[in-house]
Amino acid sequence: MKLKNFYTEHESSILGTGFIVVLLALWESVPLWYALPKGMALFFTTPSKIAAAFYQLLLNGEIEKHFYVSAIAFLAGLGLSIVVGLPLGLIMGRSATLEDLLDPYVTASNATPRIIFLPLLILWFGIGIWSKIAIVFAGAVFPLLINTYVGVKNVNRVLVNVVRSFGASEWQVMKIVVLPNSVPYIIAGLRLAIGRAILGVVVGEFFGSSQGLGYMIASAATNYKVDVVFVGVVIFMALSVILTFSVKALESRLASWRPETAKTF
Amino acid sequence: MTAKGFFTERRRLWLGLFSVCFLVAAWELVLTYIVPVNPFFFTKPSLIAAAFKEQLQGARLWHDLAVSSQAFIWGFSVAVIVGIPAGLVMGWRRRVEYSLDPFLTALYASPLVALAPLLIIVFGVGVFGKAALVFLLSVFPFVFNTFAGVKSTDLLLINVIRSFGGNEKDLYLKVILPSTMPYIIAGARLAIGRGLVGIIVGEFYAASEGIGFAITQAGDTYRLPDMFVGIIILSLIAVGLTELMRKLELTVAPWRANDEVR
Amino acid sequence: MTPFIQAQNITLTFKSKSRDPVTALSNFDLAVGKGEFVSILGPSGCGKSTFLNMLLGLIKPDSGAMQLNGTPITGPGQERAMVFQEFGLLPWRTAQANVELGLELKSMPAIERTDRAVELIKLVGLNGFEGHYPHELSGGMKQRVGLARALATEPEVLLMDEPFAALDAQTRDLMQTELLQIWERTKKTVLFVTHSIEEAAYLSDRVIVMTARPGRTKDILKINLPRPRDYEMRLTPEFNEIKLRIWEVLKEELTSRG
Repeated sequence: MKLKNFYTEHESSILGTGFIVVLLALWESVPLWYALPKGMALFFTTPSKIAAAFYQLLLNGEIEKHFYVSAIAFLAGLGLSIVVGLPLGLIMGRSATLEDLLDPYVTASNATPRIIFLPLLILWFGIGIWSKIAIVFAGAVFPLLINTYVGVKNVNRVLVNVVRSFGASEWQVMKIVVLPNSVPYIIAGLRLAIGRAILGVVVGEFFGSSQGLGYMIASAATNYKVDVVFVGVVIFMALSVILTFSVKALESRLASWRPETAKTF
Repeated sequence: MTAKGFFTERRRLWLGLFSVCFLVAAWELVLTYIVPVNPFFFTKPSLIAAAFKEQLQGARLWHDLAVSSQAFIWGFSVAVIVGIPAGLVMGWRRRVEYSLDPFLTALYASPLVALAPLLIIVFGVGVFGKAALVFLLSVFPFVFNTFAGVKSTDLLLINVIRSFGGNEKDLYLKVILPSTMPYIIAGARLAIGRGLVGIIVGEFYAASEGIGFAITQAGDTYRLPDMFVGIIILSLIAVGLTELMRKLELTVAPWRANDEVR
Repeated sequence: MTPFIQAQNITLTFKSKSRDPVTALSNFDLAVGKGEFVSILGPSGCGKSTFLNMLLGLIKPDSGAMQLNGTPITGPGQERAMVFQEFGLLPWRTAQANVELGLELKSMPAIERTDRAVELIKLVGLNGFEGHYPHELSGGMKQRVGLARALATEPEVLLMDEPFAALDAQTRDLMQTELLQIWERTKKTVLFVTHSIEEAAYLSDRVIVMTARPGRTKDILKINLPRPRDYEMRLTPEFNEIKLRIWEVLKEELTSRG
């Protein structure tokens, strides 16, 4: 009876983790019940092999080395996009003229996968950290910019009028009403920007780098070291999930007054 | 309509148009008369326009577009066929939601592009590998948006159908599907963006044709105008498709205020 | 008068994972004659909407029985139709298509459906608005569509769950008068749930006052006003007296909830 109560109370976590565990177990067991043809066997790996490879790479410092390089590109690019995107978004939100002038570029760039600019950026910055930072910036700046100015635009007119009626200056209106109102939007933009930034690091390192986790994945793939490929993929997955969910938690805390929308990453 | 009225009504359009024309003109003038252009790093609108004309008249561009479209359409269609039913079932059956949610959410939040080298190595350089990548990237918006759509179905409407004696099939056809449509279309809009990333990365990585490949090749041979042509064409396609989806969203669901975070 | 609708000893308890169980109704009885207009009045949470949903067939009581014209009620059926407080219109269908909903589910052929829907739209005074979507209609108009939809399947019983509560005061008064006119013409049996003493007194033949949760019948008052009733009747001393009598019965239930 107690077991049943425990199950009903925690049903969602039990089923969720259970599913993943079963999936991993099935994957691990494939070589046991299915004899892979010689060609396929080269590409097949199992969770235990991936874990072993991960441990090994950790020991010989490979992961640390590559992680460090990727992290720098990520942080620099993201930082740059915040420094550029946030103020620009604030100004665009308050100035309809500026918004209209920049709108075609913003809409076009937002709809276009920024990855398309990578060959151009490599041409300009060469293979190395700068083309990576550039592509991370290009990906991350738009969600931040757009969400910031949507947040500023969506401020409730009534609230602005209330504060104005107490004799507040434009700057005070910004500080008291507009900024707090925009914070949830900005955080949501940050969440999207992080996803895009990681994407930028991955793709940037596939093509425009000789170091970093993305490079590790690409070169391992060429050498058929599928377990190492998965180590890289899993690390990116873990980072993505941790970062995105931390920001989501922050979002819910700061924005409990906003209506729920569909998942967007 | 007065002259002033005509302008203020379409203010956004005019300012935008002005902005673009100004930029193009300034770009051309600066690089023609003020700063000499190093053809290995920069190019100017007149050269890009010439390359555009040449490509449109040639056969290569159309062939590349066809190749890229084929892989994209394949991957995207499978994403629709798999993603929407998955989202529907997840939304309707609690247990399925509990089992699949953590796993699929983790995948959705991850840069699945990281699997691109693996997919290309396993499936080779042809349509299948690229389509697989497009599928992996574009299936998740469909799953999660459909799921959100089903969950947001107004319970009152379900009761209305039940009170008239409707069965499960009636519920699906008359309430759940129509109610979910706007969410599905929003999902399609997101999926297009992600799918395009898939096709581009796939073609950057290992291809001998396709628009992504054309761009990298132009880059490798320092043909900047051709590079820009490729970028602009892809951008136009991306914007066109996305705007189409937005219009579709509005037609299907005029009653929903659209304030979604993109 | 042989009861057309009958309910005996209805009891229902809501069980919840996180809170203590809540008994909504406890040994609730009801008897309504054919063609009567009966209101159910009671404090919040007394179970009146729950009971209406039971009559509709969407909820089953824990114990007790309900019959319509002698036949036990076990699920939804064409003889009963509900008008909902929040309208419940499908937002992607036009007004006319919404009215046709019940007929569609009965597999009525399209031409017949259209004829019937047009007839009802005229009845509720919405000519010219058949092609409009719910988001283009005002609250009062939406509820007219709801009413037309409920009447479309020609039910014998009309269940109305605070149908005018979401409307502004003027529209509400207007709708009440129109409802009475439609009722006179169509001669349905109506069970009307409301919070408003004035509304109950104005519309009904009898008013059933419920106790606070767990709900049972506290008292039944007969409204002896002549029909047809018009708006001016609400301003007479007789009407005020009726309202006072109802209030006397109801107010204990309101204060006892604390």
